[in-house]
Amino acid sequence: MIRRRFLIACAALLAFAGTAALPSAGHADARSEAAAKFIQDLGARAIDVLVKPSLGREESMKRFRVLLNEGFDVPYISRFVLGANWRTATPQQQQEYGTLFERLIVQVYADRFSQYSGQNLDVNETLKITGHRPEGDSDAIVNSQIIRPDAPPVAVDWRVRQRGDTMKVIDVAVEGVSMSVTQRSEFSSVIQRGGGQIESLLQTLRQRVGTAG
Amino acid sequence: MNFPGNLPGFSRFRGPVAAVALLAFGGSLSGCVMPPSDDPVALAAYKEANDPLEGFNRAIFGFNEGTDILLFRPAAEIYRGVVPNPIRNGIRNFLRNLRSPLTIANELLQADWDGAEVATKRFLINTTVGIGGVLDVAADHDLPYKAEDFGQTLAVWGVPEGPYLVLPLLGPSNFRDTTGIAAEAFGDPVNLWAANTDRDAIPIGRAVAGALDARASLIEPIDDMRRNSLDYYASLRSLYRQNRISEINDGQAGTSASPEFPEFPEFPEDDAPPVENPGGVSKSSTP
Repeated sequence: MIRRRFLIACAALLAFAGTAALPSAGHADARSEAAAKFIQDLGARAIDVLVKPSLGREESMKRFRVLLNEGFDVPYISRFVLGANWRTATPQQQQEYGTLFERLIVQVYADRFSQYSGQNLDVNETLKITGHRPEGDSDAIVNSQIIRPDAPPVAVDWRVRQRGDTMKVIDVAVEGVSMSVTQRSEFSSVIQRGGGQIESLLQTLRQRVGTAG
Repeated sequence: MNFPGNLPGFSRFRGPVAAVALLAFGGSLSGCVMPPSDDPVALAAYKEANDPLEGFNRAIFGFNEGTDILLFRPAAEIYRGVVPNPIRNGIRNFLRNLRSPLTIANELLQADWDGAEVATKRFLINTTVGIGGVLDVAADHDLPYKAEDFGQTLAVWGVPEGPYLVLPLLGPSNFRDTTGIAAEAFGDPVNLWAANTDRDAIPIGRAVAGALDARASLIEPIDDMRRNSLDYYASLRSLYRQNRISEINDGQAGTSASPEFPEFPEFPEDDAPPVENPGGVSKSSTP
């Protein structure tokens, strides 16, 4: 009996010591831990909803848009990508740009996913979380590898921002190349070559994604 | 590893490098973009692009695109279609192993002793057990391949990158990396040996195989970028710069390399209170 109580006491002590020994950064660790789980879940959802079924273009774009807005902070990303040009745009231009940007992302990435359409992938064998760390006051970086058959894996880092209880991806870096920064640089170039006018970017976007839908 | 830029004294490198640039490309001064003086937005874009020779670069870029579409991409597709994957992997491994002396030298010049040790072990193991480098046995034993070159070494030494530069046939670069390519062309032991013994076919064959291998592995990504970019030239420029920073930092996110993601005043739209001071620890205000 005594032996058993002793064991329980030891276990309790160990458990307590374990938590006490953790650095006070436990809160931030929990944040990046949760972010890692968030990315894993998002990957699983993407495979279930977008990759496994064979979908037509319309349907896969519809599903991708839902998933995109669930997992990504699209308004934030579109604002970031416009950079300093955001401030010189009129509210009307900002709004049209936001709509066009979302449509561009949906078209481009729905096409990319369509290459894998109908494949029976397993998320644990396709997306491997290799690490995570808190970044700044409210972000977490989740490191992952996309495993491809017959090709080297691709390193993909997800920047997840937490606001209150919601988590959203605000940037994706592929092999150290940030998609948001690349897109910002590209948009900036389109604007500069159009004489510094936002309208030139809107024009290019309209041509690319069409005005309907 | 610190990303250079602020080391005093190194800015003097800019002078001679820029002078060489002007000598080499002075004919196309009309292609030179002058920094905008009045518009802060335009000035920020100018600085981020780091591309004062944009007119010249875009002309070379156009030439490269034509050559790629007519020659390199089709050749890469034939290479990938004809040569089976295991043999292509063997060729890649062999070419990488051939670069090992340069890789080791660059790791040493960067004072990256661990990196030099890994590269040396890889060279010894793959040259012997890996049958002259055809098999990457070392990678299966926790000795992964890492790309090193003299451009990265110069960066570690604090040499600034200099303006963006598109090289004929070789593609995106900058003044620092171009210097690195030139130095390695003279310093590579295999090529030196070939040159001294009149075996010109060796460096040529090596360059052709290297180009085919590199291009074949990029067929889909480049097709994708060409199709989806609004300004492919600008995308590639940004991609090259970020990728080089990542390589220089050996894949570790450097402080100056990771971009800032501010919280914009209009976010969060749902007025969720930002998570501040989560541990409840009061911020000390030490004087």
